[in-house]
Amino acid sequence: MTRSNLTRLAIAVALAGALSGCGLSGGGDVKEAEKTGKVAGEITFRTLQLKPKFTGYVQGVIDAFETKYPDVKVKWEDVPGDGYNEKLVADAQAGALPDVVNLSTDSFQLLGDRGMLADVAKLDGEVAKEYVPGSWEQFKLPGKGDGVFAYPWYVTPEVLTYNKDLFVKAGLDPAKPPTTVEQFFDYAERIAATSGGQYSAFMADPKGRLPGDWQKMGIPILNAPQDAFVFDTDKAVAWVERMKDLYAKGAMPKESLLKSDDISQLYGAGKLVFGPGSPGFIKDVKQNSPQVYAHTQVAGAVTGTLGHIGIYAQSLGIKKDTKHLDAATEFAKWVTNGPNQVAFSKNATIYPSNAKGLADPYFADRGDGTDAETTARAVGAESLKTAQLDANTPVQWTNQVGDAVVREVQKAINGEQDARTAMKKAQEEANRLLAKSAQK
Amino acid sequence: MTAKRDAGAEPGLIHRRWWTPYLFLAPGLVMVVLFSLWPFVNTVILSFTDAQILRGGGFVGFDNYSRAFADPDFWVATGNSVLYLVVVVPCLVFLPLALAVLVQAKIPGIGFFRSAFYTPVIASAVVVGLIWQWVLRSDGLVNTVFQKTGFLSGPIPFLTDSAMLLFSAMIVTVWKGLGYYMVFYLAALGNVSTSLYEAAAIDGAGPVRRFFSITVPQVKPMMLLVGTLSAISALRVFTEIYILGGESGGPGGGARTLPFLIRQVGLGFSGETGYAAAISILLFLLTLVFSLLGRRLSKGDEN
Repeated sequence: MTRSNLTRLAIAVALAGALSGCGLSGGGDVKEAEKTGKVAGEITFRTLQLKPKFTGYVQGVIDAFETKYPDVKVKWEDVPGDGYNEKLVADAQAGALPDVVNLSTDSFQLLGDRGMLADVAKLDGEVAKEYVPGSWEQFKLPGKGDGVFAYPWYVTPEVLTYNKDLFVKAGLDPAKPPTTVEQFFDYAERIAATSGGQYSAFMADPKGRLPGDWQKMGIPILNAPQDAFVFDTDKAVAWVERMKDLYAKGAMPKESLLKSDDISQLYGAGKLVFGPGSPGFIKDVKQNSPQVYAHTQVAGAVTGTLGHIGIYAQSLGIKKDTKHLDAATEFAKWVTNGPNQVAFSKNATIYPSNAKGLADPYFADRGDGTDAETTARAVGAESLKTAQLDANTPVQWTNQVGDAVVREVQKAINGEQDARTAMKKAQEEANRLLAKSAQK
Repeated sequence: MTAKRDAGAEPGLIHRRWWTPYLFLAPGLVMVVLFSLWPFVNTVILSFTDAQILRGGGFVGFDNYSRAFADPDFWVATGNSVLYLVVVVPCLVFLPLALAVLVQAKIPGIGFFRSAFYTPVIASAVVVGLIWQWVLRSDGLVNTVFQKTGFLSGPIPFLTDSAMLLFSAMIVTVWKGLGYYMVFYLAALGNVSTSLYEAAAIDGAGPVRRFFSITVPQVKPMMLLVGTLSAISALRVFTEIYILGGESGGPGGGARTLPFLIRQVGLGFSGETGYAAAISILLFLLTLVFSLLGRRLSKGDEN
């Protein structure tokens, strides 16, 4: 390298350093808004893909709020699901987050962690008792004390769906669905042995099973201070080995190791015994495969040693530096109150995170016990009442952690490495990612 | 002052200033700077930081680059990308030429074949990927036919084995690229003088001899261009792997190419944008090397 080239390189590197120091920082120093006691002003409300199906419902909720608080104007913007999170990040970077915004678990964690969301427990701690305990608790963040950074909105619980005809064909009793992960695997083994390759038991996709299966088996995911992953245990190794064995025996469709998107299709075609685990999918099966739907039975989700399910709620966050904190807070509480959540649940296959809402008789009605959709609603609502936080995917289990673990598990299931190595490598990578994201 | 200068100006060139040409260039220049140059410069800057999503990192020197060189995932992805290039480029240089020679013939109905071969080009990559998924999955067309006819006892893991997945994706890339480059060759073949073929025929040269002695030398510049273009696209392959092998990029991510790795590392709420930028720069350098190689070859040819 010539001297002039070296000089150019040095200048480039110095320039890079200087620019990176000034132009790339994001978030962090957002000023906190304060309540004024006056519910007024124009606020923006962003939802995730609710138009046009739920336009009438959402607009009705907004109109009723504006009638109650005539000094407030709510500007509703609905954004499609594709690229929703990317848009949120871009808005957050530009300091242009909406005042009240629908957040998924991922986006909640990111924005909350970067100090961009208001602590709603501090704004109005009394409101906590309105929600199902597990859902309110879910919006706390590690290292942020008792702060709660979003209002819980709608929830979709996990249920167990199975094709009772195939159950009988495999010599299993439809009245006795599995209740533990180990039992679920035993059933799958029997199904593989009797199906002759005509149908499979469940989808292999480790992404859909982890860390849920491990939590249900009592495998610790994090250490007590929640600053390191500790799932590399004998039990986790045994889980991987069992998955590998079942995969080799044909209990899962081969391609399902890599993809999970055709579960409705496979179940709807009668090629899968255990179907999609969410009530929304049952509705799809009802619409698209009525014949299979007629053989579909619903039971409580596998809960294992935990005895309860986790809560996976959508939430409404409030922009920390909103200009109209009172209006934004009242509006978020309004949208997530009991009556409004129940009305929403009657429009869509979702459940209220609001305790009063969940107590509505609509959710206790099992009908005559023959319709899977009605049963799913009752079973789901029942399990939500006792849902607890320890079965939730921890916020530290980010998408990237999940992907890293899944990659190692896939290699083990496919026979490319042994289960013990897979767990060791998965934990190492998960901890590296955790340490990286903990750097401030 | 203006009047004075105008008075001395040549007729027809009144009001011309030194910056007039730049004024015409300005709109294009602004676009290039804004949408090409600045993102590139920004990526270079980013590659020297430990930036993450919504967290602008500090300057870390060459850390990201040294991390990439020590990262087994990076080497697997680089290996896959280079293997992709080594296999796909020769196929895309020679097969479309053969196809173009075949469909160049002026016989009734040949237009249908030209269009048919071009169809995969206009089909969306997602649709193409899905079609091939149905063909290659364990219970797909190929495996079912071979198993039913007794050629196979179990399915070939086209999509569930990393190496097989990579080759399956290559088949899709080649299949989709055939028609595209065939059109390039058809244009080149149209420019070859028929008198050369006539003279060769008089000298007694058969079709094979004519192909190697006239067609190939005449379309050689186009072959080099196709080689360079297909090399660049081979290094950019993402969709085929994603659709056939899922979001992990095959079991354990074993079929990931460099663009796949960049997306995986840099996207998502815990995305490491600084590291992803460093891998992007390395991919850029790799692409540059192959492009320069193509240029050098074509220069050699001109000489």
